[in-house]
Amino acid sequence: MKLIAAVVDTDVDRDALYAEVDDDRAGAVVSFSGVVRNHDGGKAVTGIQYVGHPSAEDVMKRTIAEFADREGVHAIAAQHRVGDLDIGGVALYVAVAASHRGQAFRCAADIVDRVKEVLPIWKKQYLADGGHEWSQCP
Amino acid sequence: MLIRFFAGAAEAAGTEEMEFDAAGHTLETLQTALGADNERLAKVMAASSWLADGQRTSSGPLDGVAQLDVLPPFAGG
Repeated sequence: MKLIAAVVDTDVDRDALYAEVDDDRAGAVVSFSGVVRNHDGGKAVTGIQYVGHPSAEDVMKRTIAEFADREGVHAIAAQHRVGDLDIGGVALYVAVAASHRGQAFRCAADIVDRVKEVLPIWKKQYLADGGHEWSQCP
Repeated sequence: MLIRFFAGAAEAAGTEEMEFDAAGHTLETLQTALGADNERLAKVMAASSWLADGQRTSSGPLDGVAQLDVLPPFAGG
């Protein structure tokens, strides 16, 4: 079982991570990219700054390890970016290799949901009007 | 005790760190004290999770705690 999990402050190398989950037992590789969009809640967005708690990488590693015993899953690679990203920048990347496609789809979707739930990372959205807002923060 | 504010909590507090004399305080009374003249911070704290010396906490005494982290709702992905 190959597990890669990290929080990085340089651009996520999707090709390299995809290659890392290559496995002869896998009949399906599902990858997910969470990318910076140019709008949120009806407002125009020009970029995002992601900020992580010092524990973020440890939490990321523990979280991905929760999926190590998923039936049929042979390899997982997941990274979350911190720092400044432009529109289209990759904030979260997950790749899962599994014996069958249903296993890979479900595992990838569950990882993304779990990461969003527990990973201590925040995003500051820069708006086209010159302002900014912290997502999810009252 | 060192209080560390993160992300939107730091913005609301106007600082990333502050010293606070936690003697006799609970997490509840600390929020009342810090939020008394900062309504925005009060709202953020009410929605936040907390780490006392790295351990999750949600209420109770702060005696002996050296570092308290204020974590607003996560927004990764």
